[in-house]
Amino acid sequence: MSGGGTAGRAASLVVSDLHVAYGGVEAVRGVSLEVPAGSLVTLIGANGAGKSTTLAALSGLVRARGQILLDGTEISRWRSSRRVAEGLVQVPEGREVLATLTVEDNLRLGAWHQRDHLAAGLDGVFARFPILAERRELSAGSLSGGEQQMLAIARALLARPRVLLMDEPSMGLAPQIVDQVFAVIDAIRHEGTTVLLVEQNAHRALSAADTAYVMETGEIVMEGPAGELLANPRVVEAYLGELSA
Amino acid sequence: MQQVVNGVFLGSIYALFAMGYTLVFGVLHQLNLAHQAVFMLGAFAGWFIGVTLGMPLWAAVIGAIAAGALLGLGIERVAFAPLRNRPDSHFAGLISSIALSIILVAVGLGVFGPDTVRFPPDAFPGGRLVVAGASISVLQLAILIVAVGLMLGLDWMVRSTRLGRAMRAIAENDRAARLLGVDVERVTMATYMLSSALGAAAGVLFALAFNSIRVEMGLGIELKGLAVIIVGGLGSVPGAMIGGILLGLVEVGTVAFIGSSWRDAIAFTLLFAVLLLRPQGLLGRVRVREV
Repeated sequence: MSGGGTAGRAASLVVSDLHVAYGGVEAVRGVSLEVPAGSLVTLIGANGAGKSTTLAALSGLVRARGQILLDGTEISRWRSSRRVAEGLVQVPEGREVLATLTVEDNLRLGAWHQRDHLAAGLDGVFARFPILAERRELSAGSLSGGEQQMLAIARALLARPRVLLMDEPSMGLAPQIVDQVFAVIDAIRHEGTTVLLVEQNAHRALSAADTAYVMETGEIVMEGPAGELLANPRVVEAYLGELSA
Repeated sequence: MQQVVNGVFLGSIYALFAMGYTLVFGVLHQLNLAHQAVFMLGAFAGWFIGVTLGMPLWAAVIGAIAAGALLGLGIERVAFAPLRNRPDSHFAGLISSIALSIILVAVGLGVFGPDTVRFPPDAFPGGRLVVAGASISVLQLAILIVAVGLMLGLDWMVRSTRLGRAMRAIAENDRAARLLGVDVERVTMATYMLSSALGAAAGVLFALAFNSIRVEMGLGIELKGLAVIIVGGLGSVPGAMIGGILLGLVEVGTVAFIGSSWRDAIAFTLLFAVLLLRPQGLLGRVRVREV
């Protein structure tokens, strides 16, 4: 159940001194991070810390300065479509499924650069997410929030990611669905896809990840093994407060 | 019955023209006001190929469509692409497309002159067919078949092909389309090429239908095309098809039963009537715009 045959294709992602400015304001200031091939790395931080902007820069949606290496290849000047073609794929915040298109059309668009793997990829995601097979003819807008999240993940898997960027996949979902989403993330990672996970649900993210980075006002302020950060008093106070309360 | 045939015939050309407008508007939310210049240059391209080069009419039609596609690429690159990252890109593009339209008309005037040009009468196939009491010439029938074929072809393309799926994705959310790996720039260029190919096809078919080609011929159809896409529902390809044929029927009916001087007045009055009853257009969807 590989959902697109990603096994063994994991790539590393190394970001050095990334800057993004909107107008005169620097939203991302000198971010450097390393995501080794096959690992799950999380980037946590408060709302507005610059996490989503960092992912947007990695996907080529916003102009950025700095170096981005995908398996050692400098990609920071590539267009979005080429980054996706080479396996750097994002599941965006808020899912961004194409509501007026059918579930199947959304999935087919996911395989834009992977036409040779479309049939196998569809079989894979329908086996992993049977609900999408049932709903394939329906418009994506008619799905529930959880189903839309599954569609967004399935669509990204059809692009055969080597590095999967996930932006707030648990946002706005019921706790039971969040469990499912994290189970899927874990499975994807163990099938051999590198994952960079941006999450506000710091406890869940740190529990799932190997390594973590903490971002505040555009900068990385802390980094280390996820287990250590989970026990770090400063992290507990700032991001896991609800648990210690 | 004869008026119905005439109306459908005229309307199919309006519809073809309007579909070019609505395709760009529907996918990219831009109004390309150089479309009328494409219509005119398409007609001249067909005339040049058919008369000056002496090639057969089918070659003139295909050549005009190809010329239109190239022109569309030029319009996108010159009038729209440089403005894409501006916050006011829709309005700026509208203005720059008017400017480009003026330039294209001036170029047409310089190259082809101010006079009306025509195909020689023997260029057309002879013969008439009588269908259900209505008479239609072989030429008219051929024009109708080409126009309807192009319309149905476009509709199928948007619904069922990979390019069409990408266009629908960009129409809804170009950021999401980018994240899926769709090359938005290339699809944008393809959209303009298709749109202008249809505009030029409408131009050359109009030229063949009325055997009259002049530089100002686009001005008359420009507003009609805009009216058709508003009636049909902005961005709706089938809406433009139905709206165009409806306008053709109304115009022909007005000329036949009321008088030719009332033609535009009645046509545009009906436009307002439709909009009062259905502000979103015949096939338009009510959209809530997110701010």
